[in-house]
Amino acid sequence: MRRFSVLILTAVLLFALLLSSCTAPSGNRKDSDGPEWSSLTEESKLKLRYATQFQVTAYSGGYQLIDINTTGKFLVVPEGSSAPAGLPEDVVPLYQPLDRIYLTATSAMDFFRALQSIKNIRLSGTNADGWYIQEAKEALESGDMLFAGKYSAPDYELIYAEKCDLAIESTMIYHSPEIKEQMEKLGVPVVIERSSYEEHPLGRMEWIKFYGVLLGKAEEAQKLFDQETADVEVLSGQPDTGKTVAFFYINAAGTVNVRKSQDYVPRMIEMAGGRYIFSDLDSGNALSTVNMTMEAFYDGAKNANLLIYNSTIDGELQTMDELLNKSRLLSDFQAVQNGNVWCTGKNLFQEPMGLGRLISDIHRVLLDDIPEDGALTYLHKLKN
Amino acid sequence: MKKRGLVRLWIGFAGLLLALFVLVLWNINAGSVHIPVWEILKILFTRTGENTVIVWNVRLPRIISALFLGGALALSGFLLQTFFQNPIAGPFILGISSGAKLVLSLTLIGFLSAGIAVGSFGLILAAFAGAMLSMGFVLAISLKAKRMSLLIIGGVMIGYICSAITDFVVTFADDQNIINLHHWSLGSFSGMSWENVGVMAAVVIPALIFTFLLSKPISAYQLGEVYARNMGVNIRVFRIVLILLSSVLSACVTAFAGPISFVGVAVPHLIRSIFKTEKPLIMVPACFLGGAVFCLLCDLIARTAFSPTELSISSVTAVFGAPVVILVMLRRQKEHL
Repeated sequence: MRRFSVLILTAVLLFALLLSSCTAPSGNRKDSDGPEWSSLTEESKLKLRYATQFQVTAYSGGYQLIDINTTGKFLVVPEGSSAPAGLPEDVVPLYQPLDRIYLTATSAMDFFRALQSIKNIRLSGTNADGWYIQEAKEALESGDMLFAGKYSAPDYELIYAEKCDLAIESTMIYHSPEIKEQMEKLGVPVVIERSSYEEHPLGRMEWIKFYGVLLGKAEEAQKLFDQETADVEVLSGQPDTGKTVAFFYINAAGTVNVRKSQDYVPRMIEMAGGRYIFSDLDSGNALSTVNMTMEAFYDGAKNANLLIYNSTIDGELQTMDELLNKSRLLSDFQAVQNGNVWCTGKNLFQEPMGLGRLISDIHRVLLDDIPEDGALTYLHKLKN
Repeated sequence: MKKRGLVRLWIGFAGLLLALFVLVLWNINAGSVHIPVWEILKILFTRTGENTVIVWNVRLPRIISALFLGGALALSGFLLQTFFQNPIAGPFILGISSGAKLVLSLTLIGFLSAGIAVGSFGLILAAFAGAMLSMGFVLAISLKAKRMSLLIIGGVMIGYICSAITDFVVTFADDQNIINLHHWSLGSFSGMSWENVGVMAAVVIPALIFTFLLSKPISAYQLGEVYARNMGVNIRVFRIVLILLSSVLSACVTAFAGPISFVGVAVPHLIRSIFKTEKPLIMVPACFLGGAVFCLLCDLIARTAFSPTELSISSVTAVFGAPVVILVMLRRQKEHL
């Protein structure tokens, strides 16, 4: 029996060793046979007014070098050109046209929509039900766009078979680095978009210029950015209304999630003419939110003039009763008693290009300048 | 050995090897991209063709990982069930997964909160270090504890402590961290690379061989501590070696694929019911094979049932594993009546 067992064990081990000793072929990668990298000259830098998380430098030959903070450097190679020879190892070439993109960073879809380039996204990390952007939903339903698994469990086979030329991931991918590494092994460059790390709300919107560079639509991106920011910049010059605003949601554990004082949401409230109720919330880490006890929230926000419920995680509220079901303590709040509680639309987090319109919405609420039909773009009032 | 037993042995191993062979082929053939069998064979033998990367870089490393890690889990479960003489002892009873999750959460939340990205190998090392940390505590208890029950309680308590600290850490984490820790807790063989396979082979194969070489003292231990001592087994050293082996095996699984439930508990029971024996000489290779077959089957279901959405591997192993444990418990009760 001992001999038999040894035989079986040896057979299994040999089989396993045979397989594990295999070496894999590498994924698709284009050769670098363009001009010498060192011979290219720097022509200009993309002007950015608010965004700080990326920079773009234009080089001769139509090449554009994108540098994204803590993510890496990418060289956009114009259509018909080859990647320069001698390109530094830390620079990843991206070959235009980028028209077979795998997108898991949901907030980026809005930039593609604005640039009328949704057709460039072949694979989505969100299925049709998960999109609030109608064009993306329709593309998935018609088969022009395919669902290729969410960011944490991508369908590598489909991504490879569809000849994906770029994966655009959110910073969630930092938690699963093996996915990024596997994509790169398959020859799919991975861009981690950091628009959510922009401290200035208009900095988030300015990421449209990044997508403009990727898609060869830099001029359109500049125009769109200028259009969207024009109204907001007028608003930001107006005097402070002196009204205080709390922006929050209550999670399943009953604690209150609020934005830190230096986050982009308090900046938007300021630009709209209000004051964020928590002026000194900062725990010294990179997180943008804080979970606080209901007691602390009660103490800090009870006298806020305006409450805005953030529906991104917890879902939209329609009535005051729904809010009070979250916590009866809220009934003591001045804004609740005055019926001045608003809720963001669930589509907001997918539409960074709408941040300017959200600022306008907040401004109108603060001035009590609500349209007759009560319709704002991203805010709706909770009904009594 | 009686002729009937020998026939059972041959049939049992032949069946497992056949199942392993069939499942390996099935896994190579199944996926969201349809590749004809002739093309797969061509890719396997010549490494040429349009879908070479899918077969060699996506499917094969995953299959080999499921094979190694499934085998490791089942073997770890068998060792602990033997050691504790407890049918529901599993690889994670000693707090291995909780320790791994604790250090992983500290690494993720600590580094990412400071804006520092961590590579996949860093996370694997963190999970392995956490698992080893738990094991260190269990070893310390094993040196003091004279009764097995105390060791189990010690392991469970360490698990609770680690979970409590993890929850404490998570309290200060943002939603991204919480969601991703939850994903990790569900386990997955997705994204395995050949480098991962190389490392896990270097851990699992020596552990498997060493466990097999321990068959004789394990066999003596199954007849009771006193008998084993009389046979010359140093019980204290034996305990430490057994804990070390089972912990290293389950730590390896946790580090690479997250905690995968029920395989370590259910597979040794299935193997016992096939071979009708407790002999380590048979159980060690059979459990390894059985674990590999079980995980290959579950992973096949996890990645193809709702493709391209992938189910967590623990959801599938639990669906198949939990009924096995219940059946075994009922059968055992019936035998005792």
